[in-house]
Amino acid sequence: MTDQEIIEQINSSLAEEFEYALGDMTPDTTLFEEMGLDSLDVVDLVIVLESAFGMKIREEEAIRKIRTLGDIHTFVIDKKRQMESA
Amino acid sequence: MRYDFVVIGAGVSGITSAITLAQNGYHVALVEKADRIAPLLRGFSRQGVHFDTGFHYTGGLGAGEPLDIFFRYLGLSEHLTSFSFDEDGFDIFNCENPGFEFKIPTGYAKLQERLGEAFPDERAAIGSYLSQVRATCNALPYLNLDMEIDQNSALQRVLGPTVREKLDSLTENVLLKSLLSTHCLLYGVSCDEVSFAQHASIVGNYYESVRGIRGGGLSLAQACDTRLSKLGVDVFCSSEVAGITVAPGGALSGVRFASGGSLACNAVIATVHPRILLELAPEGTFRPAYRKRLGALEETVSAFMCYAVSNRPIPSLAGANRFLLPDAGCLSDLGRRPIGDAPLYLSAAYRKDEIEPHGFIGICPTLFTETTSWESSRFGKRPEEYRRYKGQCLERMQIQIERAHPDLAGNIQYMEGSTPLTIRDFCNTPLGGLYGVKHMVGQYNPHPTTRIPGLFLAGQAVVSPGVMGAVLSGLLACGTILGHDIMRKELKACC
Repeated sequence: MTDQEIIEQINSSLAEEFEYALGDMTPDTTLFEEMGLDSLDVVDLVIVLESAFGMKIREEEAIRKIRTLGDIHTFVIDKKRQMESA
Repeated sequence: MRYDFVVIGAGVSGITSAITLAQNGYHVALVEKADRIAPLLRGFSRQGVHFDTGFHYTGGLGAGEPLDIFFRYLGLSEHLTSFSFDEDGFDIFNCENPGFEFKIPTGYAKLQERLGEAFPDERAAIGSYLSQVRATCNALPYLNLDMEIDQNSALQRVLGPTVREKLDSLTENVLLKSLLSTHCLLYGVSCDEVSFAQHASIVGNYYESVRGIRGGGLSLAQACDTRLSKLGVDVFCSSEVAGITVAPGGALSGVRFASGGSLACNAVIATVHPRILLELAPEGTFRPAYRKRLGALEETVSAFMCYAVSNRPIPSLAGANRFLLPDAGCLSDLGRRPIGDAPLYLSAAYRKDEIEPHGFIGICPTLFTETTSWESSRFGKRPEEYRRYKGQCLERMQIQIERAHPDLAGNIQYMEGSTPLTIRDFCNTPLGGLYGVKHMVGQYNPHPTTRIPGLFLAGQAVVSPGVMGAVLSGLLACGTILGHDIMRKELKACC
């Protein structure tokens, strides 16, 4: 998968699972203020990403630091690349 | 009339929630599908012997320990008499191959000493395991009333390591690892799936002390009846909730019953299985991601259970439970072994007011899929083929039990069984899970708060199974509502 394909898959999964308009999603979109997610939704966010990319996410610290959609893109792309090189 | 709170489900978590809210001055209704509250705690009697179905023994009920404090806070203690299980061996681990028996004593120091005697080369591993169990327990909010609530603490139980990974990192001794994993039968999740943190939060209480209640779960249920009535909680039995209603603005407005009728309220604590919650919540109130997560939660292993009456007392079962293990590796993949060659848990059953047991309950982990071919049948109307299956299971179980307890041979005068289907129908677990939803690494169970303002969750799925887990989940839900600091202060006043 190219970086762009990963980003598109992340956006479409989150749009569907969190009922958010795909057209409003940019890397600067904030999860908590603009997408209306709260701390309860972080768990669902992790599960959506795990099932979309067939990965297990156990990086608790990294998850807590995520603030924007762009942070998610970077996190998943990095993780995907680590999996490929492992 | 409008209630401040409606609590759905009168199991231990629902009762805990209702009592706590009523003690704090709220007007509370407690609604239950069965014809009495706490149906699982009540058990049943056959030939004068009472069989406990929901409560056999517990950790943490010694003086000043968490459950003792909680029962005092809930006003239940004055109606209950607890007794200590055999401190020299509350559980007896009995492995057939290799032949090995171990009596698990109460008290960390005693347990460490005895494990060290049985496994002299493993003293360092044993010490490390026990100190990590203790530290994990001590760090848990509510189990330790001085700990601050950390919203992320639940994550530790999801991220791992598993019990197996933890034990593998400490020792290579297969028998010792099996012995230290035995108590996974108390919560129905294999040692390769459950997190060490979850395991420790349950077994740590048993390592401290182990107690039963005189009169068993029935006494606890009757104490709850008395307390709820005294507090003026309105209890609605035989009242199945069909839905939670929400006002146009999104705030919770009440519950409606399957039989028609409804109750208006400002807030609800639901203690039902998460999958059943999804059926109760109005469409569109939960996001797809949350619905999928709750709908996909795996359940614990199911079980085949037997209830036997002996024509003479069984002193070997008094004061201690037995764990019969065919071999040291049988605690992986719980439920996959055929009955008769699977781990088996035995707990004594008593005639009214007698000290020596006259019967026992046997519990063997079994997969729900064993009985799926009859899943459309209902209690009392099962087909002949199902009865034959039950008979064969009972026979195999009896052979295994009599092999370990030759004194029982020829003395069992009555034996009945229950299957995963029975558990599904009586425990309200859609997939027959003996302990409801699993707590395991990688599975995110629900939190007490939901997206619907005024809807809170309690029950085994939130914290852990057993009376302790259920009480904790009720307190956690009420702490979320009333403020954890206030709850902790009130609980500390009962120390």
